[in-house]
Amino acid sequence: MTLVVGAAPEHGGKAALHLAAELARSAGEDVVVASVVPAPWYPSLARVDAEYQSYLVEAADRALAGARAALPSDVPVTTVVQHASSAAEGLLEVADVHDASLVVVGSSSAGVFGHVALGSVSDRLVHSSARPVALAPRGFRARADGRVRRVTAAYGGSEAADDLVIAAARVAGRVGATLRLASFAVRPPSPITAGIGSRGEEPVVQEWIAAIHGHAEDVLADVRRLPEPPLLAASVVGWGPSWQQAIEDVTWDEGDVLVVGSSSSGAIARVFIGSNATKIVRHSPVPVVVVPRDVAAGDVDEVDVTG
Amino acid sequence: MSTFGQRVLRRKSVIQMDDETGADTGRSELARTIGVFQLTLFGVGATIGTGIFFVLSQAVPVAGPAVIWSFVIAGAVAGLTAVCYAELASAVPVSGSSYSYAYATLGELPAMGVAACLLLEYGVSAAAVAVGWSQYLNELTDNLFGFRLPEQLSNAPEQGGIVNLPAVVLVALCTLLLIRGASESAKVNTVMVLIKICVLIFFVVVGAKGWNTDHFANFAPYGISGITSGAGIIFFSYIGLDAVSTAGEEVKDPHRTMPMAIIGALVIVTGLYIVVTMVAIGAQSASSFKDQEAGLSAILEHIIGASWPGTIVAAGAVISIFSVTLVVIYGQTRILFAMSRDGMIPEVFHRVNPRTMTPVTNTIIVATIIALLAGLIPINFLAEMTSIGTLVAFLVVSIGVIILRRREPDLPRGFKVPGYPVTPILSVLGCLWIIKDLRAVTIWVFLIWTSVVLVWYFVYGMKHSHLGRHEQVGLPHENVPR
Repeated sequence: MTLVVGAAPEHGGKAALHLAAELARSAGEDVVVASVVPAPWYPSLARVDAEYQSYLVEAADRALAGARAALPSDVPVTTVVQHASSAAEGLLEVADVHDASLVVVGSSSAGVFGHVALGSVSDRLVHSSARPVALAPRGFRARADGRVRRVTAAYGGSEAADDLVIAAARVAGRVGATLRLASFAVRPPSPITAGIGSRGEEPVVQEWIAAIHGHAEDVLADVRRLPEPPLLAASVVGWGPSWQQAIEDVTWDEGDVLVVGSSSSGAIARVFIGSNATKIVRHSPVPVVVVPRDVAAGDVDEVDVTG
Repeated sequence: MSTFGQRVLRRKSVIQMDDETGADTGRSELARTIGVFQLTLFGVGATIGTGIFFVLSQAVPVAGPAVIWSFVIAGAVAGLTAVCYAELASAVPVSGSSYSYAYATLGELPAMGVAACLLLEYGVSAAAVAVGWSQYLNELTDNLFGFRLPEQLSNAPEQGGIVNLPAVVLVALCTLLLIRGASESAKVNTVMVLIKICVLIFFVVVGAKGWNTDHFANFAPYGISGITSGAGIIFFSYIGLDAVSTAGEEVKDPHRTMPMAIIGALVIVTGLYIVVTMVAIGAQSASSFKDQEAGLSAILEHIIGASWPGTIVAAGAVISIFSVTLVVIYGQTRILFAMSRDGMIPEVFHRVNPRTMTPVTNTIIVATIIALLAGLIPINFLAEMTSIGTLVAFLVVSIGVIILRRREPDLPRGFKVPGYPVTPILSVLGCLWIIKDLRAVTIWVFLIWTSVVLVWYFVYGMKHSHLGRHEQVGLPHENVPR
C-alpha cells in the first residue's frame, strides 16, 4: 500500500512530509509525493501555453526534489507531477492510480502552530475523499525515526463509531501501536440562575460517561477478537465547557495519532466530516486521520469473515 | 433491621455526596472567581422577570395600593430565606438544589417533601411564566400586525378558552433547545438582565407621565391581611433570588460576598419593583388592575394613547421571559435527574442520550406536564401554587439550618448566617405569616399535592432508595442499557 502526500511549489511546509514519513515507516508503506499543476485548458495546436506549462512542471519538479530531500532515507519515495483542475482533485487522482491507503496533507498556513487548520485543499478532501485523509498540525515535526505509538479513536458511542474503532484497531495492530478510545464531553456549566448550582450538569455528564464506558467495553471486546489485536490503553473522557478544553483534558504525547470518523449524514462512500468531528480536528494537538464511513464499515465486514 | 423512623430519616452523608460528584472527575475544586458585583448581578438577573411583568394584575386587587408594602414584606422574607439557603448550600459541598441539601441534612422523607415544593417552584412556575409570556406575545402581535389569537386559543378553559396555545408553543421551543443541549451562557444572561431592567426603567419613565395621586387615596382597603395576601401572590416575583446561594463554591470570600450580594440584589430588585408598582398605581385606579392582560404594556398605552410604548415593553417581555422559561425548565429536569439517581423516582429520568448528552426522556416528560399546566390552568392559580411551594421549601431550608447547627456544629461551613438563631427563626415565621393568608384553595391543593408525593415516597421511593439498598447512588455501570 501507498501513502500519497501533496507538495506544492509555493508551499514550503514540511509538516505533511514529516507526518507521511512517520505513518509510512510505522506501517511499512511507501510514499508517493505528488505535485499537482493546473492542466492545460484544451489541446492547442499552436501550443500557446507550452512555455507556461513547462514552467509549471519545472516548479513542480523543484518542489518534489525539495520534498524528497526533506523526507528521511529509510522510507521508499517516488514522485509524480499530476495535471489536474484542482489540487484536491489531483491528489485524489494520484491516490486512485496508486490505490493509496491514505492521503496526507498539511495545515493551512493561516492556522495556529501546533493545531490542525483546514485549508482550501484539506477542507475539500475531508468533505469528499473516498479514502482516509491524514492532516498534520501546522508546524508538525516527527523524529527521524518517529513511529506512531498510540492511535486514539474519537468515540461517540454510536454504531458508526463502533466501526471506526474497529478500523482504528486494525491500523493500530498493523503498525504496532496502542489503541486508546477517547470521548469528549463538552457541556457548559449550568447557569447560576437555574438555582441548582453551577455543577448541576455534572451528574448528567457522569451518567453519560458511565454509558460511554459501557459501550466502549463492548467494542473493545470485539477489538480483542481481531486477528492482530493492538495493545489497549485505558479509555479516556475529556471533559470541559468547550471543545478546546475537553480535548486538552486528555493527555497527548509524541507519536499520537487521532482518528475521527466522517459524519453519518454525508454520502456513504465518502469522507464528510461532521460538525463535531470538525471541532475535534480543529483543536487537535496531534495529527488527525479522518476515515470515511464505508472504509470503516468495510474493515468490519472483513473482520466478520476472518474472525 | 432499621426501624421505620430510621428509614425515612436516613441521610446521605456529606462525604458520600462529595464522592459522587468529586471522584475521578478532577473537578472537586472550582475556581473562586465570582465577586460581589457579579453575584449581585446574577441575583438581579435570576429574580427580575419571573413575576413583575404579570403579578400586579393579581396582587393589586387583593391588597390595593398597599401592595407596595407587600413587596417589602415578600422581599424581606425572600432575603432572610436566601441567607439561610446560602448557609445550607455552603455546608453541603455538592452542587444541587435544596432537595440535595435537605437529603444531606434532614433525611429522606423531608427531602421528598422539599422535592414536592420544588416541583411547584420550578415546574409550575415555568407554566405560570409561559402563560404570562403568551399575554405579552398577543399584545406584541396585536400592536405590530393587528393580529391577535382568538380567545379560545390564548386562554385557559376557566377563562373561556380552550387552550393557551402560545404558552404551549413556548414550552415546546424551550424543550427543543434543552434536548439539543443548549444552555444559557453568562453572556446571554447578562443581555437578558439588561433588557429586563431597561424595559422596567422605560416603563417607569414613560408611566410617570400618567401620575395621579388620587389613586393612592384608599391606600389599604383590605388592611394588613390584604397586604400579606398580596405578599403571598407576589412572592412569586422573588423566586430565583435563592439561586444566588447555589453559587457558593465559586464565590470569592463567601462570608462577605454572599450576604452583600443577596442584600444588594434584594435592594435593587425590591426598589425596582416598588417604583414600577408606584408608577402603575399612579397611572390607573386599583380596581382597573383586575384581569388586565400584559399589564405593563396596557398601562403605558392608556397613558400615552399610542401603542408604541406598549410594544417596546411587550417586546422586552417576550424576549426576556423566554430565557426565564428555558432556565426554569432546565432546573426542573436536573432536579428530577438527581432524584432519579437517588432512586426516588423511576430510572427513566436519568437516562442520558449519548448523542446530545442530555436527559431526553426526562425533558420530554417534564415539558409535557408543564405544557399541559400552561395550556389549561389560569395564571393566578399557577402563581399562587408556585408561591406556596417556594415558601414551604424555604421554610424547610431555614429549619434545616437550625437542625444542622445543633446536630453537626463542627461541620465546616463556607458561609454562616449572620445573627443566628434570630435570622432563621425570623425566616420561618415570615414564611408562615405569608402562607397563612394565601387562599384556602391554594393551601388545600398544596396539602393534597404534598400528600400525593409522600404516598409516592412510601409506595416507591422508600423501597427503591439507593441509599436504603446500601448502594452507591447513581446508575450501576454494568446495567447501562445499549
